[in-house]
Amino acid sequence: MIWETVRLSLRSIRRNVLRSFLTLLGIVIGVAAVIAMLTIGSGTTQKVKADISKLGSNLLVVRSGRPAGPGGPGGLDQVVRPLAEKELAALVAHLTGARAISPASQKQVRVIFGTESLTSGVTGTDSAYLDARDWKLVSGRPFSDSETRSGTGVCLIGETVRQQFFGAGDPEGEIIRVNRTSCKIIGLLEPKGYTGFGQDQDNVVLMPLHAYQRRIAGNRDIDNIYIAADDRTPTSELQPRVEDILRDARRITPDRESDFAIRDMTQIADAMASATTTMTGMLGAVAGVSLLVGGIGIMNIMLVSVTERTREIGIRLAIGAHEKHILIQFLAEATVLSLLGGIIGILIGLALAGLAAVTLTIPFAPSPAVILLAVGFSALIGMVFGFFPALRGARLDPIDALRHE
Amino acid sequence: MAAGAALITFDKVWKSYGQGEAKVHALAGVDLAIRRGEFVAIMGPSGSGKSTAMNIIGCLDTPTAGTYSFMGIDAGRLDRNRRAMLRNLYVGFVFQGYNLLARTTAAENVELPLIYRGVAARERRDLAMQALAEVGLVGREHHTPAELSGGQQQRVAIARAIVTRPTLLVADEPTGNLDTARTHEIMELLTRLNKELGLTIAMVTHEADVADYAERTIRFLDGHVASDSRKLEIAQP
Repeated sequence: MIWETVRLSLRSIRRNVLRSFLTLLGIVIGVAAVIAMLTIGSGTTQKVKADISKLGSNLLVVRSGRPAGPGGPGGLDQVVRPLAEKELAALVAHLTGARAISPASQKQVRVIFGTESLTSGVTGTDSAYLDARDWKLVSGRPFSDSETRSGTGVCLIGETVRQQFFGAGDPEGEIIRVNRTSCKIIGLLEPKGYTGFGQDQDNVVLMPLHAYQRRIAGNRDIDNIYIAADDRTPTSELQPRVEDILRDARRITPDRESDFAIRDMTQIADAMASATTTMTGMLGAVAGVSLLVGGIGIMNIMLVSVTERTREIGIRLAIGAHEKHILIQFLAEATVLSLLGGIIGILIGLALAGLAAVTLTIPFAPSPAVILLAVGFSALIGMVFGFFPALRGARLDPIDALRHE
Repeated sequence: MAAGAALITFDKVWKSYGQGEAKVHALAGVDLAIRRGEFVAIMGPSGSGKSTAMNIIGCLDTPTAGTYSFMGIDAGRLDRNRRAMLRNLYVGFVFQGYNLLARTTAAENVELPLIYRGVAARERRDLAMQALAEVGLVGREHHTPAELSGGQQQRVAIARAIVTRPTLLVADEPTGNLDTARTHEIMELLTRLNKELGLTIAMVTHEADVADYAERTIRFLDGHVASDSRKLEIAQP
């Protein structure tokens, strides 16, 4: 009987292919949007987590200013005492459990080679930076200690910078201009791709800290200190040690709060992942609204169908169909229709998400639960929005229905 | 077949529409009995109440007052679904406009009442083929109504009406859309079904020569039975 009903529904859908297709479109678009959103969203979350663990999941980042309070991430003091080189020295001298400690100051700066130019993230740092950030060189060599100390004009460039200036060519030994200062390329960084937020991690130029401070920033400040914990030390253990050493080095009395912040990248990873999840959920909800619209489309077309087939309903009632038979027939038709739309929508949504995964270089992460939910939900929409028209058909008086032209 | 037992009884049946001053009585206290195996023609001008009477006979409608009993059942007091069941089990319908499902083959049209009985697909198919054979439509099983002539469509409708082996066939102007030759064929078919299957037939018509096929003619006028005449038995040869 169920199969019979489904067959009947399919046949009546086939009879009006164009109309059925247009009706389906609402559901197809709705389901496709939801599936694409949620799949891309969960891919992004995975990517963000992976990115941040690439940044170094056992990484602490120190920056000056108070820790971000409930006011949000902008909670820096008005007057910030920047981090200084002697504090870095204190960490290097006293901190145990760290694999690498490295300073970093950053700025977006125009980089020029020949007639080409590019705005790039220029970082002043030392040779421990690559270790702290878990970054490797494709070719060339890192800064030597003497280059770091003396602030020689040498630099490492990311893949994007290379492509902009040299195409596939070898950049080593070439001289680029970074903010009116010359800089000899000594190495090429391994490509990292985009972050989950679309930031190009390969559009970077690394140079010795002193060179950066003197020629680009024009001060002796250190923006951040990266501290990578060694394998035996969790960051949660390392953090208080870093705090103690820095408070001491910055001569902060016990009654005062620290004027620097230590961020645990693991925590940040979690926070960002949860932000992405929230975003995904919201976008999914917006897409869900279009499903509602699709449902109303189904209701509309089912009402038309019931009116159009009043005579058929009359015949069926006359020859002995019960109300429930008519109800089930139209309900099944609406459900099959919207289920069909749901399945097409899932396929399109997954295709879109797959495309997005390739374009944005995020993992393709379809969730069986979401797909199942979409199937169930589209069937539910058919039932809910098909119910009223079906009931209207079932309640028809056979005599009136037979008289209907 | 136990001919002679009353199949249908109207006991002071009223059917009224509207309220107060505008109240119209389509049937005004009709008494009527039709026995099993009878072939009855129901005639009368439009508005005489014949259609209302037919709807009640076919268990499609219920009286406002009075009692309608069908096979001894007080059918006028049954709810929609019970009447639907009664129709499905005991009544077949033939309409003036054939009322076949479009884009549906003859066999599928004939199977329709069996679906609501829950008959299995294979048995349905067999019964439908048998019914189509009885109305002389072998070879046309897979044609849709659009591919059939009016007379053939009405035969399909008759096959659909008899496929459930009903007790009563309700025919509403069954030849209204047909030419004389086709009319004759359909009436011959109905007469044969009446004789061979013992099928009780109640047929509305406004054509006297169609009514002549029936053995009894009931005329309605203004909600009453104006005349009820039986054809004289033709002497057996």
